[in-house]
Amino acid sequence: MSDLNRDIKQLIIDALGLEDISVSDIGDEQTLFGEGLGLDSVDALELGLAIQKTYGIKIDADAKDTRNHFSNVASLAAFVTAKQAA
Amino acid sequence: MNWIKLEQLLLKGHSGRAVSFDPALDHDTLRGQALSLAGGLQQRGVQRIALHLEDAAELAVALLGAWRAGVSVLLPADLQAQTRQRWDPQVDLWITQSSELQALYANPLPGAGLDLDACRLSLCTSGSSGEPKRIDKTLRQMANEVEALEQLWGNELGEACIIASVAAQHIYGLLFRVLWPLCAGRSFVRQQLAFPEDMQRVSREHPAFAWIASPALLKRMGDNLDWPALSPVRRVFSSGGALPAEAAQALHQRLGQWPTEIFGSSETGGIAWRQGPGLWQPFADVQLSQGEDGALCIASAYLPPGHVEHSADAVRIEADGRFELLARLDRIVKLEEKRISLPMLEQALEAHDWVLEARLGVVRENRASLGALLVLSDSGLFALREHGRRTLTQTLRQHLSQHCEALALPRRWRLLRQLPLTSQGKLAQAQVDALLLAPRPKQPEVLSQNQLDGVWTLRLAVPPDLAFFSGHFPTTPVLPGVVQIDWAISLGQQLLDLPPRFGGMEVLKFQQLVRPGDEIELTLGFDPQRSKLHFAYRHGDAACSSGRIVWAANDNLGGSSDIKEPPHA
Repeated sequence: MSDLNRDIKQLIIDALGLEDISVSDIGDEQTLFGEGLGLDSVDALELGLAIQKTYGIKIDADAKDTRNHFSNVASLAAFVTAKQAA
Repeated sequence: MNWIKLEQLLLKGHSGRAVSFDPALDHDTLRGQALSLAGGLQQRGVQRIALHLEDAAELAVALLGAWRAGVSVLLPADLQAQTRQRWDPQVDLWITQSSELQALYANPLPGAGLDLDACRLSLCTSGSSGEPKRIDKTLRQMANEVEALEQLWGNELGEACIIASVAAQHIYGLLFRVLWPLCAGRSFVRQQLAFPEDMQRVSREHPAFAWIASPALLKRMGDNLDWPALSPVRRVFSSGGALPAEAAQALHQRLGQWPTEIFGSSETGGIAWRQGPGLWQPFADVQLSQGEDGALCIASAYLPPGHVEHSADAVRIEADGRFELLARLDRIVKLEEKRISLPMLEQALEAHDWVLEARLGVVRENRASLGALLVLSDSGLFALREHGRRTLTQTLRQHLSQHCEALALPRRWRLLRQLPLTSQGKLAQAQVDALLLAPRPKQPEVLSQNQLDGVWTLRLAVPPDLAFFSGHFPTTPVLPGVVQIDWAISLGQQLLDLPPRFGGMEVLKFQQLVRPGDEIELTLGFDPQRSKLHFAYRHGDAACSSGRIVWAANDNLGGSSDIKEPPHA
């Protein structure tokens, strides 16, 4: 597991107050919202804020598909990496 | 812009009068579709339908078409299996997708006015007892309300496109993003937009726009938005739950206007509004009074004539009629604008084999969620021991998901040996909330302690929710040996006159596992000559563990172990 993936999993657990779930319980490709981890749209909003704050990046509000990056941990990590490089 | 009364929307078509877009829909087409649906419903002899449509324009077609055909409409709050099962006997037909809607179109009925008192709509929400409740409204009540809204804010909204982050399935969304714009001739966006970025993108596509939003969105709008581009927003409405003062303040700073908060309920429709901090201003058609319990009582043109709704909101009413909201008087809570009945979910939890008693409360962290205090049954305790805490809580969440939306599933669980009830059998909500905020225990519960000839015998209960169980081990919780030693030391220090320095450990034996909920016996005796604390844990007849802990009065360490510090669990 890459460090960034692990950090993002910990961020998800902490920001959303998930109990009885550890980083090893969240798969890199596991769907976070709806089925899968069972998070809802309010979690998506919270996670958006937490990711921006933690990594000092901004979600581009004018791009149509930003929320696609939130589908799983791997896509979030790729998004954070790309934003930090930009 | 020309106002068309709600009951006259199907009288004649107005081509070119925009209703919605993507795909574009004008009033004439909307009317045609509604009349075709009316024809189809009448042909099939349908009397009562349930509607759950995400597309607000389709919802408008379905509502108007049903009313034209004399069909009563139920708007369920969600499509949970339990919800469908509950309302199914009261409806002939469910329309939950556009394909189902379109399949019903047939030869249209002629355009006509709608009967303000015969056309009916029912909304579903949680009653105070926990039972889902059905609220019936006439078209007249809704017509009165949208006219009042237009009186207050119509001029200012002008030709604003109505953009919403809330569902049209509830009273607020239905009135503000569907019925009001339909009558006013304002266009509205079909979809509910859950994310700030979507609100921004769509807002930019329109020269004038207004937002129908809720605290869930408004308190989470970040710095990544182009606030200068959003500041032309004609008005920002917020309803469904309390908007935190900081969120209102932040919007004021960024947009140069205070959000317009609407206070209302499914039962009453709108009650009052305010812009910025301060008192609530009742709508013109609303008469307020106060019950003996301090609760707000409402009579209004948005309720059936003569009906006074006794709410569960405690208030303070000023001489000028404006009021301050104080607290809820019942056990209905709002989570991100969803009304949740705690008693209903507690009953659902208690219906599970594993649960003896359950109490719920709200845990307010980044997001508010429910927490559950549970007393497990024997089979629940067995499940915890055999499969671990995660399996237990996941299974109970799964069980509850048949009764509520995912949002209401408890995120925090605290397993207690018993609820700390008062002698009247009550447990105050404040205490439930405090127990949910408390960290999981690290110490045993001492049930009794006796001393005989210098040897202490303690009966201990191992808390089912001991903090150490989660990591040791996730699927088979057992009491770690190091914790047993730690407890022996700390209890020994409380009860016996032990020397100050820990010196080491001897002859440690671990013979049998100690598990969540076990009641065990601990004996503690101090041998001052050898400066050794003898401890032994037993569970019934079986020895669990024993050993000796060596103490040193000075730097001269005794014992055979190299350990210089007491172990810390």
